[in-house]
Amino acid sequence: MNKNYKENKEDLYQAQVLNLDDDFSLIKRFIEGDESAFSILMIRHKEKVRSIVFITVNNHDVVDDISQEVFLIVYKNLNKFRFESQFTTWLYRITVNKCKDYLRKMKIRSIFSPINEWEHEFGYTPNQENIDIKEIVQNAISKLPEKLRIPLLLKDIEGLSYQEIAESIQCEIGTVKSRIFRAREGLKNILKPYEQELM
Amino acid sequence: MKKSLKKYERLSAYIDGELFEDEKKQLEEELKKSKELRKKLTELKKIKQLTIQSVNTIEENPYFETRLAANIRLKKPFFRGTRKWFPVIGVAVITTILMIVLKLNPGIMNNLLNSQKSNIKAFYKQNLKPLLYAADLSNEDIFNFAFFHRLPLDERKNQFLQLGSDPNGHRYFEIKTAAMQPANNNLNKFVKRLKLNKKQQLQVDSILTSYAGDLQNQILVNNKNTIAINPNLWNYNKALTADLLTFAVKSNKKQFDKAVPSGFSKYNKTVAQLVHEVKASKSNQYIFFTPDTIFSDSFNFDMKKFKHKIEKMKKELKSNVGESAKRLNAFKISFNFDTGLVKLKRDSSWDKHFKVYFDTNSCTVHLGDIPIPNIRLPHFDSFLKKLDETANKFKVFSFDIPPDFRKGGSKSYSFKYHYNNPTKSYDFNFKTFRFGPSGKSNNYKPDSLFTQQFKRFKNNPDSLASIFKRFFNGSTMIFQGKQFQKQMLQLQKEMDKFRKEIQNMKKEFKIKIPPKKKSNTIII
Repeated sequence: MNKNYKENKEDLYQAQVLNLDDDFSLIKRFIEGDESAFSILMIRHKEKVRSIVFITVNNHDVVDDISQEVFLIVYKNLNKFRFESQFTTWLYRITVNKCKDYLRKMKIRSIFSPINEWEHEFGYTPNQENIDIKEIVQNAISKLPEKLRIPLLLKDIEGLSYQEIAESIQCEIGTVKSRIFRAREGLKNILKPYEQELM
Repeated sequence: MKKSLKKYERLSAYIDGELFEDEKKQLEEELKKSKELRKKLTELKKIKQLTIQSVNTIEENPYFETRLAANIRLKKPFFRGTRKWFPVIGVAVITTILMIVLKLNPGIMNNLLNSQKSNIKAFYKQNLKPLLYAADLSNEDIFNFAFFHRLPLDERKNQFLQLGSDPNGHRYFEIKTAAMQPANNNLNKFVKRLKLNKKQQLQVDSILTSYAGDLQNQILVNNKNTIAINPNLWNYNKALTADLLTFAVKSNKKQFDKAVPSGFSKYNKTVAQLVHEVKASKSNQYIFFTPDTIFSDSFNFDMKKFKHKIEKMKKELKSNVGESAKRLNAFKISFNFDTGLVKLKRDSSWDKHFKVYFDTNSCTVHLGDIPIPNIRLPHFDSFLKKLDETANKFKVFSFDIPPDFRKGGSKSYSFKYHYNNPTKSYDFNFKTFRFGPSGKSNNYKPDSLFTQQFKRFKNNPDSLASIFKRFFNGSTMIFQGKQFQKQMLQLQKEMDKFRKEIQNMKKEFKIKIPPKKKSNTIII
C-alpha cells in the first residue's frame, strides 16, 4: 500500500514534469515546422479553454467561437513564445482577455439595443414552487462584477492556483486573494433572501 | 473593521489551500479560540460549495478541431499582420495614383476649376440686355454723365452709377443711392450760359445722342439679377467730357467758365484723337455682378440681334397689348447689396483687375488696369532741356495771364522771375484771385470717398457712419428735434445771462482799479 502510494506519487511527479516538458517540446516542434504538434497541444488544452470561456461569458452559444479565436491567436503567436512561464499561464491569459473583449462588446451593444420584453416576461421569478438552487446561485454569480467573478470561477471551477489566476488576469496575488474573498462576500449578500433554502 | 476583513480574507485563502504553513498554523489556532471565526469559516465553505455545484459542465464539441483547422487554413500566415496595414496601404495607393495623374496631367485641377468657373460664367451671361435703352436716356442724363459722372440706374429707388477717381488716381465706380436728387436742367443751363444758337444747340444734342448708343452697350442686365458693367465706360466718360468741353470752347470762349461746372479746364486739340480712339477700341471686358460672385470676363453684345428682338416685341405689343405689357413689367431689376457681405468681403478682391468694397450705402468697385487708349505724348525730357536753355538766355522771366481769361478783364496778375538776383528772385503780383466761376473748390469728391477717409476704409468702412461722425465731432449721438430745440433755447438764455454778468463785472472792475501809471522805459 505504502509502496504503491510512493510509486503513484512518483508517477504523478513524473507525469507533471513530462506534462510541462511536453508542452514546451510540442511548441518547439511547432516552431521547427511540425504542424501536427499544434493539434496535439490544442486537443490537450481545448476543454479547459472552453470551460473557462463558458464560466466567464456564461453563454453557451459563443463558447466555441471564442475558443476558436483563442487558438487562432495561439497559432499565430506561438513562434513568439519565450518559454519563461508555463504554456497554460499564457493560454489562460489569452482566454481571459478574449472573454473580457467579448463581454465589453456585449456591454456596448446592450446600450444601443432595445430592452427585450420577452426576457422580462419569462425571466426568473423567485416565488416559483420548485426552486432550483443551481439556478439561483448561477444568477447570483452572474450579478457579480466581472473583476470579482472571473477570479472566483477560475479558482472554484477551474481549480487554478492564486499564482495562475494572478498571471492570467495580470495582477498581484494579494489582489486575487482579496477579490476572491470579496466575491464570496458579495455572493453571500445576494443570496441572503434564500438563506433558509440554501443553508 | 479592516482588520477583521483581512482576517476573513485569510479564511477565504485558507479554504482555497493558499496559505503558507506558518500562516495556516496560526489561523488554525485562532479558529480554536474564536467562535466567530469558525462561524465565518463554515459560511465561506458553504458559499464555495454552492459555487462549485452551480456551474454546469460544458459538453465536448467533436467538431472543434476540424473547425479550427479550417479556420487556420483560411487565415494562412501569409496575411498575418497585414490587416492592420490596410489603411496605410490604401492611403499609399491613392497617393501614388494622384501623383501619377498629376504628373501626366498637371493642369487637371485647374482645368476642372476653370470649367466650373466658365459654367457659372455662361449661366450668368445668358439673356443680357442693355439696362439703359438709348431711347430712354435723355440728353440731360448723358450731360450729367459727362460732368457729374453719374448714370441713373433705378429712378424709383434713386440709385445711380457713379464714376470717379480717388486722390491716389485710382479709378472706381460705385452703385449707390443718392442722398439728394441731383440738380435738374443742367443741360439747359449749359446751353443758355453759352448763348448757343439753334444750330449749335442741335450740335450739342447730336454729340450727346451719338454717345447714347454706345453707352447703352456698357451696362447690361439679365433676369438672373446679373449686372455687367464695362470699365470702358470710364473712357467713354472722358471722351464725352472732352468732346463737350472742346465744343464749349469753340462755340463761346468767353462764356466757357460760366457754363462749364467747376473743376473742368479747357481741352486741347488732342481730344479729337482721344475721342476717336475710345470709340474705336471696343473693349469686350465686362465686370459681372451676380448674386453669387463678381467676376470679369469678355462678352460680346450683339446689338443687331437685340434690335431685331425689340422690334419683334414692339409688333407683339401692338397685336396683344395686355399680355406683353405684363411680361415687360415682370422684367425688373433691383440692385441690392447684402450688408452682411461688408465684413466678409471687405478686403477681398475677386480678381486681379478690380477690388470691390461694400458698405451700408454703397458698393464701390476699384479698377486696376483699364485698357485706356494710348495717346502719344511728346518726349518731356527734350522739352525740359530746351526750357533750361531758354531760361539761361533770359535775365528776367515773366509770365502773364491774359486779362480776358476772367470776367471783367481789367484786373490782372503776373508772376515774375528775376534771374541772377537772389534777393528778388520771385515776384508774384495779383490783385484778385478767384477759384472759378462758382467759387467752389476745384476737386470733385463724391461723399463716401472723402479724402483720407478712403485710406481708412478698412478701419471705418461705413460712409454713412463717417458722415455722422463728421457732423458730431467724432462722437455719434442721437437727438430728437423738439428736445434739441428746447436745449438750444435754454442754452441761449443762459448765454444771455452770462453775458450780462460779465458786463456787470467789467463795470465793477473798471471802478475798483485805478488806471496804471506809465512805466519808464529803460534803454540799454
